Amino acid sequence: MTQAQFVGTGSPVHRLNPVTKLVALLSILVIVFALPQWWVSAIVVVGVLLPAAVIARCGGPLIAVGGRILLPIVVVLVLVQGLTFPGGRTMVWQWGVLSVTSEGLLFALNVGARIVCLVLASVLLVLTTHPGDLMSALTEAGMSPKFSYIISSTLQLIPAFRSRADAILLAQQARGLAVPRNPLRRIGVMMPLLGPLVLGMFTDVEERGTAMEARGFGSTARRTALEAIPDSTAQRVARWVMPLVAVAAVVVPLVWEVL
Amino acid sequence: MSDQAPLDTRRSRTRLLVAAGAVIVVATYAYLVVAQPAGMADSGTTRAGLIAMAGYVIGAVLIAAGSIHQLPTTTIAMIPVAIAVNIVVGQLVAVLGLPVYLDSIGTVLVSVLAGPAAGVVTGILANVIWGLTLNPIPLPFAVVQVVIAVLAGTAARIGVFRRVYLPPVAGLVTGVAAAVVSAPISAFVFGGATGGGTGAIVGAFQAMGQSLLASTTLQGLLSDPLDKLITFTVVGILLAALPSRFLQRFPFAREHRVVTTAPLAPPPSPSE
Repeated sequence: MTQAQFVGTGSPVHRLNPVTKLVALLSILVIVFALPQWWVSAIVVVGVLLPAAVIARCGGPLIAVGGRILLPIVVVLVLVQGLTFPGGRTMVWQWGVLSVTSEGLLFALNVGARIVCLVLASVLLVLTTHPGDLMSALTEAGMSPKFSYIISSTLQLIPAFRSRADAILLAQQARGLAVPRNPLRRIGVMMPLLGPLVLGMFTDVEERGTAMEARGFGSTARRTALEAIPDSTAQRVARWVMPLVAVAAVVVPLVWEVL
Repeated sequence: MSDQAPLDTRRSRTRLLVAAGAVIVVATYAYLVVAQPAGMADSGTTRAGLIAMAGYVIGAVLIAAGSIHQLPTTTIAMIPVAIAVNIVVGQLVAVLGLPVYLDSIGTVLVSVLAGPAAGVVTGILANVIWGLTLNPIPLPFAVVQVVIAVLAGTAARIGVFRRVYLPPVAGLVTGVAAAVVSAPISAFVFGGATGGGTGAIVGAFQAMGQSLLASTTLQGLLSDPLDKLITFTVVGILLAALPSRFLQRFPFAREHRVVTTAPLAPPPSPSE
């Protein structure tokens, strides 16, 4: 499950420049956190995220992935804050010692709407943007290529790493390692697994470092890109307008309070 | 970006970025703790969430950008492995059903072997990769990994990993710091609900009359010190089990004699 969740449908949303989508995500987050009323997040989800998901033809995966992440959080949030919010005074419903306060529910609604927005917007970005494209676009925009190397190579490494861990576990079981039922004693199983895993993986690294250095990885000269990332004037304008809207969302309420 | 800048200008730019990031993180925490009682009165419609999120994320980005410039290529090549250790062991622990997370073993290991700067980059990018693959919830907590890496690197430098009984103590201290730093994010961004069990504990503390921030801090203090104690102990055992020739490859571990009090061994000769 650690594979990137990218779903390639080739829709207009997929073909946007990844930096545009990232700027949109950050602007949306600033807006919903700067205007912390629940209806702001609701408008963003219904008016921006869901239409974008429909255009991108990945509404199904968005609901599935987002729902799996959000369901436990939202349930816990409503239960815990509805019942125990420190500022709760107005009882809505009482049953024995349990009482639900309207302040608690309002708090859960405000915070929950923001979390829904945060998770859906991030998942949508991940679903519609290949991690490799995102990294190339960010490197072209001036991010250090070291970041893109680390992130891209980790994404490729994890499946190899997991199969190696499985192989070591099987080998240790073959020579008599038992996995006990007691959860605390299972920590003991970690050691015969971790030792060979870490040693083996780090030994590979040494040669990789030499090979990278020989190919000019440490060079600080500006590189040219092999794959051109699609971009347009409209997107360039949007990348300026969206942050301005976000800044306005922060500044306008502040000015409003002062006046 | 002026990448042709001479070496010492670049080094001071690095220091400036890290210092600015650290100041922003500390200022954010201080502001949230001081301003919190008045802000919590009106049911979550405060700007505390924005401040917690923006301060911690901007701080973490500055620290990561500053740290990555001072890392040599061999260390950069090692970081993906460490992130994979974080993620794969974290998932393995969840599958085995252990009552801890153990999702920072790679971060601590790299901080101890290659220094805190490498650990900081490992920790922050590990959270970014969680966000890119599985779940965006850990992303705002990236700054906690900075604290873990800096404390683990400092512990290694003062010789904690030379003794068997000291790593658990350093782990406890790190766990307390991690709990304190992560509490404002849990409280103001997630309303105390980052997971099932932790949410229930936060609720229990609130029912006893604690404020939201106090409840998330206390919840963190219940789980983080134990988790980091086990993490540091595992790393300590791992270091003792790794061959000393392997440990000698890392300049930071060699220079500060992280694992052994024995006199400095000569660096491995290139003709080897």
